[in-house]
Amino acid sequence: MDTTQLLKGVLDLACLAALRDEDGYGYDILRRLRTAGLTEVGDASVYGTLRRLFNAGLLTTYVVPSDEGPHRKYYALNPAGRAELQRSGKTWHGFASTMDDLLRERETA
Amino acid sequence: MITTAQDEINLYVFAVRAALGDLPESLRDELLEDLPEHLAEVVADGEGSLTDRLGSPEAYAADLRTTAGFVGGFPDPPKRTDQVKEMRDLALARLRVADRRLGPLFGAARASDFLVQLRPAWWVLRGYLAAMVLAWMLDDSGQPIGLLPRIGGSEFVALLLLAAGVLGSIWLGRRSKRLAHWPQMALYAGSVVLVLVALGGFLEADSTSRGAPYADVNYDNPYGNIEDLFVYDEQGRLVSNARIFDQNGSPLRLGNAYCYDDSGNYTEVQTLTYPYCADRDPFRAPSAAASADPAATATGPGPVPDAGAEVNPSASAAPSPSAISPSVSPSGK
Repeated sequence: MDTTQLLKGVLDLACLAALRDEDGYGYDILRRLRTAGLTEVGDASVYGTLRRLFNAGLLTTYVVPSDEGPHRKYYALNPAGRAELQRSGKTWHGFASTMDDLLRERETA
Repeated sequence: MITTAQDEINLYVFAVRAALGDLPESLRDELLEDLPEHLAEVVADGEGSLTDRLGSPEAYAADLRTTAGFVGGFPDPPKRTDQVKEMRDLALARLRVADRRLGPLFGAARASDFLVQLRPAWWVLRGYLAAMVLAWMLDDSGQPIGLLPRIGGSEFVALLLLAAGVLGSIWLGRRSKRLAHWPQMALYAGSVVLVLVALGGFLEADSTSRGAPYADVNYDNPYGNIEDLFVYDEQGRLVSNARIFDQNGSPLRLGNAYCYDDSGNYTEVQTLTYPYCADRDPFRAPSAAASADPAATATGPGPVPDAGAEVNPSASAAPSPSAISPSVSPSGK
């Protein structure tokens, strides 16, 4: 099964989750997702998703000057983002457990 | 082709932008505003070209399109302004590459860094130009201004104006970055006008210094192109072995003391008598040189051409100046 197809549905949630404990800049968030196991996630997808979440009013941004290299735009969850993370998280859990049950029934059947 | 990471990033961003060409300009700008910084992080964190690590710019653009929430429909035909902007962007990208390439020539990372170092010199020059233009407008004395901003021909005013112009220009230059938009534009526009006026002034000064009206009389030796000297007596006969002297009795040396005969053989003339080369007599009898110079023969100054009079190389001594009145005809014009 193609993971990239699955990722498309949950990338918003994944990005929100990656920002739950700590703010991060784009490439930083990509690394967190890959470290967490989403190795197939694409650079452009994360960049695009962050911009869309920001436009949707779920994230705030601030710029941190960097001594070496360009300035970094950090993304942070705002209250609306945290609420969305919670709501989508619940939806995901429900969906995932349904899928788990479905798969388990098939396996045991 | 690609010289630095920044060039690579710029070209990648440019290609992504081109692949999103159907989106409205403002949307593209907004979508791509952080991309260069983002790609810089990517470049800094690993090996390989951007295309190796991220895929083609077109694929990157397609990913952006789906995740950022823009669905590409049928692309609108590109507007003229978009095309102009596209060409401008491409030109700017190329210019930046050239800027970096030329940098080492000036011992800097970029050629523009070197130009930035030259800015104080430009401020001084601008101050001088401003003072000159001011003097040119205020001066009504009718005298030529020269190369200093004189008003009424006064050197003191000129130096004062020059100092004020240069100091003012430096003062403005050091503050131009902090000026508001319109004053800054006005300063730039003023500088452009100054440069144009200065170019006009430069061309005028250049042509004045080249076209000095008395140059021919004062500086060029009118005898510079004389090669030989021919002296004729009253009857128009060539005087051979003539000697010429100035008022102090010093012999005059003119021309080149050597000859080429008809076959091109070179002979040096040892004596200081004229002509060196009697063969070159410009008013020689027509039978001897039929087509030598008919016009000169007809209107020649002194000698009357005499078909019968062969040039007589009588080895006479120096002619006494009172006895004959020689007419001199320089040749080799």
